[in-house]
Amino acid sequence: MGLDIALLPLLVIFPLLSGLMLPFLGGDDPQRIKSFALISSLFTFVFSLGLLVGYDFSNSAEMGLVTDVSWFESLGLTFSFGVDAISIWLVLLTTLLMPLVILGSFSAIKFRIREFFFWLLLLEAAMIGVFVATDILFFYICFEFTLIPMYFLIGIYGSSQRLKAAKMLFLYTFTGSMLTFAGILYMAWCNGSWDFSFEALSHAHENMTTNQQVLAMLAMLAGFAVKVPLFPVHTWLPLAHTEAPTAGSVVLAGVLLKLGTYALIRLAIPMLPDAALVVAPYMGILAVVGVIYAALICWVQKDIKKLVAYSSVSHLGFCVLGMFALNVQGLSGSVMYMINHGLSTGALFLLIGMIYERFHTREMSQIQGLGRVMPIWATFMVFFAMASVGLPGLNGFVGEFLTLFGAFQSAVLGPAYAAVAGLGLIFGAIYILHMVGKVVWGPVKIPQGHENDAKDLTGREITVLLPLAILCLWLGVYPMPILRTLDQPAQAIMERVGTDLLEENQAKPPVRYDYHSHVRAEISSDATLTLKTLSEGGR
Amino acid sequence: MTLQFARFIPWLPIVAAIFCALCCTKKSWRHYASWICLASVVGSFILSLMAGSIITPGKEAQTVTFFEWIHAGRFQANFHYYFDTLTIVMLYVITGIGSLVIWYAGGYMKGDRGYARFFMAVSLFIFSMTTLVMADNLLLLFLGWEGVGLCSYLLIGYYYDKPSAVAAGKKAFIVNRIGDLCFILGIFLTYREFGTIAYEPLFEALADMEHATGSVAAIPFLFMLGAFGKSAQLPLYVWLPDAMEGPTPVSALIHAATMVTAGVYLIARMMPMFVLSPYALPVVATVGGLTALFAATIALCQYDIKRIFAYSTVSQLGYMFLGLGAASSVGAVFHLFTHAFFKALLFLTAGSVMHAMAGQLDLRKMGGLRHKMPVTCWLMFAGCLALAGVPLFSGFYSKDLILGDAMAAGLNGHNPWMTVLAWMGLFTAFLTAFYTFRLWFRVFWGPDQCVMGDDHHDDGGGHHPHEPHEMPWSMNLPLVFLAVGAVIGGMVCHEWMTTMVLSSSAGEALSHGGTAHHASLFGMDVHSAVMVLSIAAALLGIALAAWFHLIRPSAADRVKQSYAGLCDLLENKYFVDELYDAVVVRPLKLIGSVCFVIDRLVIDGMVSLVGFAPRLLGLTVRPTQSGSLQGYGLSMVVGLAIMLLLVTLMWGY
Repeated sequence: MGLDIALLPLLVIFPLLSGLMLPFLGGDDPQRIKSFALISSLFTFVFSLGLLVGYDFSNSAEMGLVTDVSWFESLGLTFSFGVDAISIWLVLLTTLLMPLVILGSFSAIKFRIREFFFWLLLLEAAMIGVFVATDILFFYICFEFTLIPMYFLIGIYGSSQRLKAAKMLFLYTFTGSMLTFAGILYMAWCNGSWDFSFEALSHAHENMTTNQQVLAMLAMLAGFAVKVPLFPVHTWLPLAHTEAPTAGSVVLAGVLLKLGTYALIRLAIPMLPDAALVVAPYMGILAVVGVIYAALICWVQKDIKKLVAYSSVSHLGFCVLGMFALNVQGLSGSVMYMINHGLSTGALFLLIGMIYERFHTREMSQIQGLGRVMPIWATFMVFFAMASVGLPGLNGFVGEFLTLFGAFQSAVLGPAYAAVAGLGLIFGAIYILHMVGKVVWGPVKIPQGHENDAKDLTGREITVLLPLAILCLWLGVYPMPILRTLDQPAQAIMERVGTDLLEENQAKPPVRYDYHSHVRAEISSDATLTLKTLSEGGR
Repeated sequence: MTLQFARFIPWLPIVAAIFCALCCTKKSWRHYASWICLASVVGSFILSLMAGSIITPGKEAQTVTFFEWIHAGRFQANFHYYFDTLTIVMLYVITGIGSLVIWYAGGYMKGDRGYARFFMAVSLFIFSMTTLVMADNLLLLFLGWEGVGLCSYLLIGYYYDKPSAVAAGKKAFIVNRIGDLCFILGIFLTYREFGTIAYEPLFEALADMEHATGSVAAIPFLFMLGAFGKSAQLPLYVWLPDAMEGPTPVSALIHAATMVTAGVYLIARMMPMFVLSPYALPVVATVGGLTALFAATIALCQYDIKRIFAYSTVSQLGYMFLGLGAASSVGAVFHLFTHAFFKALLFLTAGSVMHAMAGQLDLRKMGGLRHKMPVTCWLMFAGCLALAGVPLFSGFYSKDLILGDAMAAGLNGHNPWMTVLAWMGLFTAFLTAFYTFRLWFRVFWGPDQCVMGDDHHDDGGGHHPHEPHEMPWSMNLPLVFLAVGAVIGGMVCHEWMTTMVLSSSAGEALSHGGTAHHASLFGMDVHSAVMVLSIAAALLGIALAAWFHLIRPSAADRVKQSYAGLCDLLENKYFVDELYDAVVVRPLKLIGSVCFVIDRLVIDGMVSLVGFAPRLLGLTVRPTQSGSLQGYGLSMVVGLAIMLLLVTLMWGY
C-alpha cells in the first residue's frame, strides 16, 4: 500500500534530491562526490526494481501504481504518476544505465566534478519523470527539462566543438517541442476541457476530424521526431553525440532518444489514432530512408564515435518503422528495439570513451589493431558490435526481427518497407565490420606518444561493461520476460487505432492452411475498405 | 527411451565454449582448450548416435521442446528441436567429422598464441551448426545460420594481424548477409502465407497443396538466394576462396564439410515447398550446374593448394544443388556426406603439407614430397581418388547418383534442359579429375623441390624446420579415419543413406512427384550409361593430368603458352572480384560519401544559423561568451510561465 503510492514519485524525487544535495556535500574530495553519486544512483536502481514487484503484469496494458500528487491545490493541478509495461522497462533501462555511466565517468572527468554529477542526477530524475508521467504537463516539463543538464554536460565537458553542438541540440529540440506543446494545447482545445491527464486527452480524438488530428499529429511529430531523431531532422544528433563526453553520449543514445520514440508510442499514436493511420506510410518511408541513408554515411566515417552516432539514426529508423507498422509484432519489436539499442549502443559509446581516455583520439586511421594489445577491450568490442548488427542470439536481433516482421505483415505498411529496410542489415554489417576490422583487427597502430597507454581494461571498466554484456546475451536468448508483457499494451494500441480489425481479417488460420485465392482477394479488398473508412471518415 | 536427452547436443559445445573462454585468460590453461572442445563434441556425437538409434527410417519425426524464444501476438518461434532422419544424417556429419577435425587441430594449432580462442570459436561453431540442423522452425534455423556465419568470420580472421585475413572474414560475413536478407524475407513471407514457421504445421499445410501460386511460389526463390550465399554458389560464391585465409582445420570443417552445406540442407529440408513451385527446382539445378562448371575451370589454373580445394568445394557444392534441382535429394545429401569425408581429408592433408613447408602453399615451389611425407602422400591420394570419382571410391557413388538422376529427369521429358546440365556435370567430372591429380602429381611427384614458406612455428622448442617432415601419428590417425570414410563410405552407406533421406521430409515430398527411372541412353539404362561415361571422364582426366604434370611437364608449358589469354583469365578468376568491386562496392561507397557531404552541408548550415540566432536575440538579451544559454533558459522560463498562465486562466472558466 505504502509502496504503491510512494514508489513512482520516489523514483523521480530521489535522484533529484540527491542531485540537489551534491553542492552541499562537505569536503572537496572528488572521491566522495563520485561515490555519493554512484550510491544514490544505485539506490534509485534498487527502488526501480520495486516496479517489478509492485506492478501487476497480468494486466500489462493498464496503468498501474497510479498516484496523484497535488501541485496547485487551489487550481486543482496535480502531477499524475502511473506506469504500464512499456514505461516500466524504459525506467529500468534508465536506472540501470545511470550507475554504469557514473562509474564509467570516474576517471574521465577531471574538472568541475561536483557539477558534472549534479547534472547527471538531475538528468536521471527528468528522464524517469518522462516515463512515469500520466499527465501531459508533468510529462512536458520533464521532457523539456532534460535539455538543460544535457546542454551543460555537452557544453562544459565535451570536446572541441562542444559549444556549437550544445547550442544546436538545444535550439533544434527546443523549437520542435514548442510546436509540440502548441499541438497539445490544440488537442485540449478541441477536447473542450483543460484537463491534461493522458486519460482525458485520449478522448480528444472523438471530438476531432481527421484533418484536425493530422494537424495535431504534425505538431507532435515536430518535437518528437526531432528527438528520435527521424530522417531528415536528425542533423543535430551526429554533432551532439560526437562532442558530448562519454557519459553524455551514453545517456543520449541510451535514454534521451527513447524519449522521442516513447512519446510517439504513448501519446502520438494512441491519442490521434486516425491521424496515425494517415501518417503511417509516410513515417514508414522516412524511417526506411533514414535506415539506409545513415548506414551508408556510417561507412565513410573516419571518427569511430561519429560512426556510432550515425548508426543510432539508422537503428532508430527500425524502431519507428516497427511502431508505425501498427501491429503487435511491430509495436513490441519497437519497444524491444528501444531497450536493446540502449544497451548495445550505450556499451559501444562506453568502449569508445575508454579508448579516447587512453589515446585522446577517435580517428580510425590513428588507432588500429587493438586486439593484440587490449584483448579484453577487443572482446567486448566485437561482442557489442555483433549485438549492434543484430546477430541472432544477442539482443539486437529480437527488436530488429520483430520490427521488420511487423512492417512486412502490416496492413498499413507492407513487404516493400521490410525489404528495403532489410538492406540495413547488410549495410549495418558493412559499417560495423569496417570499424571492427580497423580498430580491433589488423596490425597494431597506436598514436605517437601513447605507446604506454595501451593498457587493457581495468576492473572498474570491466564492471561497467559486464552487466550490459550479460543483459545483451540474456535478452537475445530469452527475451520472453519482457516480450510477453508487451503483447497487451501493443494490442491496446492496435485497438485504439483500429488495425486489430485489419489484422483479424488478414490473419491466416495459424495451423491449417486453406488456400482459396478468391477468398483472399475478398479479404484484402475488405481490409483496404476498412482502412479507407477509418482514415477518411474521421469520427 | 525418449528423445529428451537430445536437446543437449548443441549445449554441450556451448559449455565447452565457456570453458575455452576461461582458458583464454591464463597462458598455462591454454592447452586444455583442445581437450575440452574435443570432449564436448565427442559427447555430442555419442548423443547423436543415441538419437539415431531412436529415429530410424520409417519412424515419425519427433519434436523435443525446450524453451520459448520469441513470441509476439500470434507469432511464435521457440528453442524446440525437430528430429527426423535428415537431422540425424546431418548430426553425424557435423559431430563425427567435427570430432576428427578437432582432434587433428589439437596438434596442428599447437604453440599458437590464440590456441584457446580457436577452440572457443570452434565449439561455438558446433553449437550453431547443430542448432541449425536441429531447429524445429525457420527462425531457430536462422539463428544457427547466422551463428555459423559469426564463427566463420571469427575463424577466417583468426590470424588477425594479417590484413588479408581480416578482409576475407569481413567479405564472408557481408556476402552471406546478402543471402541472409533474402532468407529472412522468405521467413516473413512464409508466415504471411501459412501463419506459422514451424516445420510440422508447415509440412502439414504443404501436404494439402497441389501447386504453389502467387506468393507461395516466390518463397523458394528467397530461400534459394539464402542458400546460394551460405553455400557459395553463383553469384555469391566469391567469399569462399578468400575464406582460405583461416587456419586449415577451419577450412576443412567449416568451409568444406559442414557450414557451406547448410544451404543444401535448407533446400532439402524445404523440399515440400520447392516441389510445389514449377520453376524453383530447375533454377536450383541450373545455378548448381553452372557453378560446378565455372568453379572447376577456375581450379584448373590456380597455384595455391588451398584455393584449388576451395574452388573444388564450390564446384562440388554445385553438384549438390544440381542434385537437389533434379529432385534427387538422396543424391544431394549423399554427396554432402561423402564430400564431407574426402574434402575434409584433402584439406587436412593440404594442411599437413603447409605445416611441413612452413606455410608454403604454392604448387610451383614444391615437388617430390612423397619421400619426405609418405603417409600424407597416400592419405591425400585416397582423397583425390574419391574427389575425382574413381569407381568404388565414395565420391563416385554419390556424384554418379546425382548425374544419373539429372540425366533421367531430362530424358524422361520433364525438362530437356536437365539433359544439358547432366552433360555439363559429366564434363565437370573430367575437369575435376584433372585438377585434382594435377595438384597431387605436382606436390608429391616430379623432381624434388621445396622452397620453405616464411611461417615460424613458435612451438616453444626453438625448432625451426628447414626440411619438410612427416606429421606425428597423433595428427595422422584422425586422417586415417577420414580416409577410410572417403574410400569405403560410398559403397557401405549407399543403401542406408537412401532409406534415411527417403524417410525424411526431403524424401516424402518427392515420392508423390514420382520420377520414373525408365529412360535409356545409348541403348542402356540411363544410370548405367551415366556410370560408364563418368568413369571414362574420371580416367581421362587423371590420364591427362599425368601426361601434363608427371610425364611431359614441358607439354603443359607449351599448352599454357598457346592459350595464354585463357589461362590469364582463369588465373585471375574471371575478374569477378574486380567486377563486383567496380559495380557494387565503389558506387555504394560513393553514394555514402555524397550523403555525408549533404548531411554536413545541412549541419554546417544549421551551425551557422545557430551562430546567427544569438545575434538576433542580442537586441533583447546580451549573450555572454560562454554561450547564450541564458537566452534560451530565459525563453524557456518565459515559455513555461506563459504556459502556466494560460492553464491557470483556462482553469478559471
